Amino acid sequence: MAQSETRKSGKKGLIAVLILVVLIAVFAVIYMVLSPSTSGGSKSLTIEVIDNKGETTSYSIKTDAEYLRQAMDETEGPTYEGTESDYGMYVETVNGVTADYDTDGAYWAFYVDGEYCNYGIDSQPVNDGEVYTIEYTVYY
Amino acid sequence: MVKKSGITVKDIALIGMMTATIEVAKDSLAFLPNVELVTLLIVLYTLFFGRRVFLAIPAFVLLQGLLCGFGLWWIMYLYVWPLLALLTSLFRKQTSFLFWSAFCGLFGLFFGALCSLPYIVLSGPAAALAWWVAGIPFDIVHGVSNAVLCFVLFKPLRLALGKLKNAWF
Repeated sequence: MAQSETRKSGKKGLIAVLILVVLIAVFAVIYMVLSPSTSGGSKSLTIEVIDNKGETTSYSIKTDAEYLRQAMDETEGPTYEGTESDYGMYVETVNGVTADYDTDGAYWAFYVDGEYCNYGIDSQPVNDGEVYTIEYTVYY
Repeated sequence: MVKKSGITVKDIALIGMMTATIEVAKDSLAFLPNVELVTLLIVLYTLFFGRRVFLAIPAFVLLQGLLCGFGLWWIMYLYVWPLLALLTSLFRKQTSFLFWSAFCGLFGLFFGALCSLPYIVLSGPAAALAWWVAGIPFDIVHGVSNAVLCFVLFKPLRLALGKLKNAWF
């Protein structure tokens, strides 16, 4: 009889362990489903590219980047190429369109909320809600 | 002769010893987040010494407040540990150490959920849920470590306490 009780008690122990294991798995799932995720960064920016035909392409991006170049690199924003210098990159090509100042005085002008950028893309700080405009401009 | 209020001198000494051992166990493992022996000791003391543990727990909680400061966590301690003793009393007929390992594990796992209750009153159910969810990894560590510690230590401690009880009472 005592042996039967011990067996019963052992069975209850096994069931309790099983409940513990199942609940640990349930808790892990709850954590994965309900815990907050970093939805691509805490700053929301808009980048508008106005090309040589006057067409505007707009990008809404979320980033934690501190500077514009980092924000453009980390997200699916406009593509760009340029020449590296001691002062950062001089952007020559945006979305495949090259502005050649030596040929026709064209360059890519950068604006923050409509104001001309005072810094290059490497040192232009980005803040939540800002609108960046990259415009193909010809200097007459 | 000494049983005026139902508490004997032996009981007072025992309550003091329970409080001291729980406190030492708590502080000695304090450097490991959510790894503790308090759960196991309260379970064992409830199984062996019954209602006396309900006097040791407030003493331990008061000591914790005096040593660490009376924060919101202290309010949680006021009901969490007595609840453990109460639940242990309900299952006191269980003898399997596997059962008690799982029991300690479940208590550790639900520790965060139990501690989130004051936040329902203070900041609302959504805040309490967020607080609980953020702590789930720690609750899992708590649950697993409680279960493992009980699995390893329950039998030897039960043997030692059994001998002590026979010699004392």
